[in-house]
Amino acid sequence: MSGSLNGNSASSGGGATGAGGDDFFDQMLSSLPSPWADLANPKSPWDLTTGANAPGSGEDCGGYDESALLASRLRQHQISGSGSPAGAKPMMLHQMLMSAAGRAPGGGAGAGAGGAGDPSGFFPLPLSLGRDDVEGAFKSPNGTGAEGLFNGYGGGLPGAAQANNQPPFHHAQQGAPMPAQNFGGAAPNAGAQAPAPAASGGGAAAPPRQRVRARRGQATDPHSIAERLRRERIAERMKALQELVPNANKTDKASMLDEIIDYVKFLQLQVKVLSMSRLGGAAAVAPLVANMSSEGQGGSNGAGGSDSSLTVTEQQVAKLMEEDMGSAMQYLQGKGLCLMPISLASAISSATCHPRASASHLGGGPAAAAAHHLILPGPQAQPNSNNHVNPDGPSSPNLSGLTAQSAMANGNADSHKDASSA
Amino acid sequence: MQALHFLQALARIARAAPKPAHSARTRQIRHAAYASMAHSSRSSRRTWSRALLHRLRQRQQQRPGRLLTVRRRVRIVTPITSRPEEPARAETLRQLVPGGRGMEYCNLLEETADYVQCLRAQVQLMQTLLDAFSS
Repeated sequence: MSGSLNGNSASSGGGATGAGGDDFFDQMLSSLPSPWADLANPKSPWDLTTGANAPGSGEDCGGYDESALLASRLRQHQISGSGSPAGAKPMMLHQMLMSAAGRAPGGGAGAGAGGAGDPSGFFPLPLSLGRDDVEGAFKSPNGTGAEGLFNGYGGGLPGAAQANNQPPFHHAQQGAPMPAQNFGGAAPNAGAQAPAPAASGGGAAAPPRQRVRARRGQATDPHSIAERLRRERIAERMKALQELVPNANKTDKASMLDEIIDYVKFLQLQVKVLSMSRLGGAAAVAPLVANMSSEGQGGSNGAGGSDSSLTVTEQQVAKLMEEDMGSAMQYLQGKGLCLMPISLASAISSATCHPRASASHLGGGPAAAAAHHLILPGPQAQPNSNNHVNPDGPSSPNLSGLTAQSAMANGNADSHKDASSA
Repeated sequence: MQALHFLQALARIARAAPKPAHSARTRQIRHAAYASMAHSSRSSRRTWSRALLHRLRQRQQQRPGRLLTVRRRVRIVTPITSRPEEPARAETLRQLVPGGRGMEYCNLLEETADYVQCLRAQVQLMQTLLDAFSS
């Protein structure tokens, strides 16, 4: 097919150049904007019909009214609302070429929008050029709108051509002055749609991240694309917030916002209240011990105990420890006690306002100790490395024992001594 | 992570200030709560957490020496804050969420979601501790 058309073109082109009477050639040249005409120049391996006479005819093209054609094509395309601007450009190009060639017998298949394939070998040339243009135009700061379409061609053509090393596109250098003027002429003619978005799209400092193409093809205007994206993002976030905030049955955005605000205020108030109420029981909020190595196991266990129970507990735990560390831990946890390294204990233990409290006084913490303790060395740690606190005096190093946290709620950090099971 | 930090802060408080000044204690605890919120691993990358820490530090510096000049963070946010498309309540939200003044509406919503999550976690944590210690 391509070959046949080339053949046709060749024959008709030959005739056209001489007499200019061949319909195909004339139409092609007249409908094509000058760069396209230049395309027909023999600079490319896909040398076309026009061949030798192309230069002459190419220069003539400048006078042709391709602006009108461009305008009509653009309108047609936009009305058809086909796809993205990216697709629009090659399609528009294609359309132009197709319609130009369409009048010719060979190109009839290509008439219409969105050419599926090129009926001729001639067309891949501009089509691929179009793609390059598309990219060039997109990268150009002119935006993706219709205005970009025009400017993109003007800027993109020379840019793309020069950027590419593809020999076929030599035209661009020649065509640079032409397309600029043509497109300049074309733009105003393109109708209300093009200039308006052109002005706004070009002038507006649309958020630079708006390189997204309009999905539904309704708006190629970068402004509206940006707007739409922004709205979608906001809606997304609102939905996420709705899930977080209780009472999210409000569908109204305004009331939803009110709800969110109220909820945030409520939470902040809760923090305030809780920090006040904690004082009551937490005057001694005894140095809570949070065990570093047992974050995972950390749980708030209630702590409290009297001396007697603690002694019993200790013995119990000691027994358990002999068998299995895990069970010992669990037992401790159940009682709200914890096991911690001596270093940590001494670091945290403070005289919890209790005169009786000795230096080694230990405040209880809800954290559960991990088995790591056994290995954790502390400054006073013993080979056994179990925590040990001897409230009565300097800890006897030989003792290994468990530490139970002291009660807090009472405000007294009672010193609990853990008997060593050594 | 959040809990850990909070507990440590509480320990520090209990240890450091035996004076039962109610208000002072309250304030310190609240401070610790917010600090631990800001330090939690999931929120350390957030704008609000940085703004919150900054605010806390400001308050702390303010406290001890009232003679010191208060350094306020001055930001010209007027052009950014109010946009035509925002609902009216957005300004309130900006005041509530730390660091909300400099953000666009879109980011504000995201930060709010994260802030709410952290707040909830903190409240739950404090509640649990309270229950644990009082029972």
